[in-house]
Amino acid sequence: MFLNSVVLILQEILEAALLFSVLLVFSKRCNIKPLWVIAGVGLGAMGALLFALNMAQISEWFDYVGQEVVNALIQLTLLLVLGLLAFQLSTRTTSPTTFRDTAHFSHDSSSDLKNSLKIMVSMMLAVSLAITREGSEIFIYIGGVINQPLHVQPTLAGSGIGAGIGISAGVLIYYGLLGLPAKKITQSNLLLLALVGGNMAAQATLLLTQADWLPYSKVLWDSSTPLPENSVVGHLLYALIGYEATPSLFQFVSYLSGVSLILLCWLLGKLIDAPAPSLSTPSTTVKINH
Amino acid sequence: MRSKLRKIKTAALSLVLFGSYVFAATPVIELKIQDHLFFPEVIEIPANTKVKLLVNNLDPTAEEFESYELNREKVISGNRKAVIFIGPLSPGEYPFFGEFYPKTARGKILVVEP
Repeated sequence: MFLNSVVLILQEILEAALLFSVLLVFSKRCNIKPLWVIAGVGLGAMGALLFALNMAQISEWFDYVGQEVVNALIQLTLLLVLGLLAFQLSTRTTSPTTFRDTAHFSHDSSSDLKNSLKIMVSMMLAVSLAITREGSEIFIYIGGVINQPLHVQPTLAGSGIGAGIGISAGVLIYYGLLGLPAKKITQSNLLLLALVGGNMAAQATLLLTQADWLPYSKVLWDSSTPLPENSVVGHLLYALIGYEATPSLFQFVSYLSGVSLILLCWLLGKLIDAPAPSLSTPSTTVKINH
Repeated sequence: MRSKLRKIKTAALSLVLFGSYVFAATPVIELKIQDHLFFPEVIEIPANTKVKLLVNNLDPTAEEFESYELNREKVISGNRKAVIFIGPLSPGEYPFFGEFYPKTARGKILVVEP
């Protein structure tokens, strides 16, 4: 019971921890107060509890595939929020002051404040959606065990340790990212955000296939022999980049679409926000952006 | 005009036939969870056929059906039923387990050539 709880909780927490760290790094880089963390965690915990309490009913919707449909909807909404965030953040990081010298960045102008607020709301939404999805499973698991006196102690201890490892991994990613050379931070962070987006899209597709709402598509490859999904590395890669040993064509296409969507939203923000320069010097604009 | 109508009729009929074919072609396999065990432990299904797994959890506690080989994961609340679509699969062994009670809740799907 003990080891099982460690693995189970760690799996759920890792995915959310990655998103959390990436958003915290963006938040710090753009000098946005991390108030969204508290609101996001609170809302997410409430969402997860509500989802867990109503799981039995929800599962019976749509001819017993309600769970898949609702989860896919959460993943797709999260993908859209991440796209919006990429757009908002790219306009924010274009501002030369933000990049060169964050300390001097001020919230004096009302448009900056408005912009910060919008980003905070998006970050709060993203975190709460991620926690709703992952947290509901934790609540259901612990809720079931709590009625079995023999299992309570090892489960809670295991869950605590699993959560501890997951959160530590998040902290490591956070400081790892911040430790990169300044230019690389935003690039790596954006890439990770895009991978989370791809993961969400692929998971939504898998869920809808499981519900028979999407047709079957052929398995593209089988990498279960060199790297099984239930190995330690497999678990880690699953949580971080959505690794599947036997992905289907639709899953793969969805993954790429999710990644592209985030990157395109970022590029769109850059294009819109680029200071209208004379058309003859596009290269200068690019330089400022980086 | 007449031939157009006939074409539409033919199209509608083939759609209905195709629909019923697809519907009829999805066999339902029942799986029970009791005392954190799966019954039956081994399920045999034909290759290259989509199958509807109807899982009936008779335990008061929730279980999570999970299989890496099948790429399936689903929470099944206590004393409730759930549907999981699997396949079409190529012949082979596809183990599954209950993620909440993995020590006891284990089983596998045997996919065989019809």
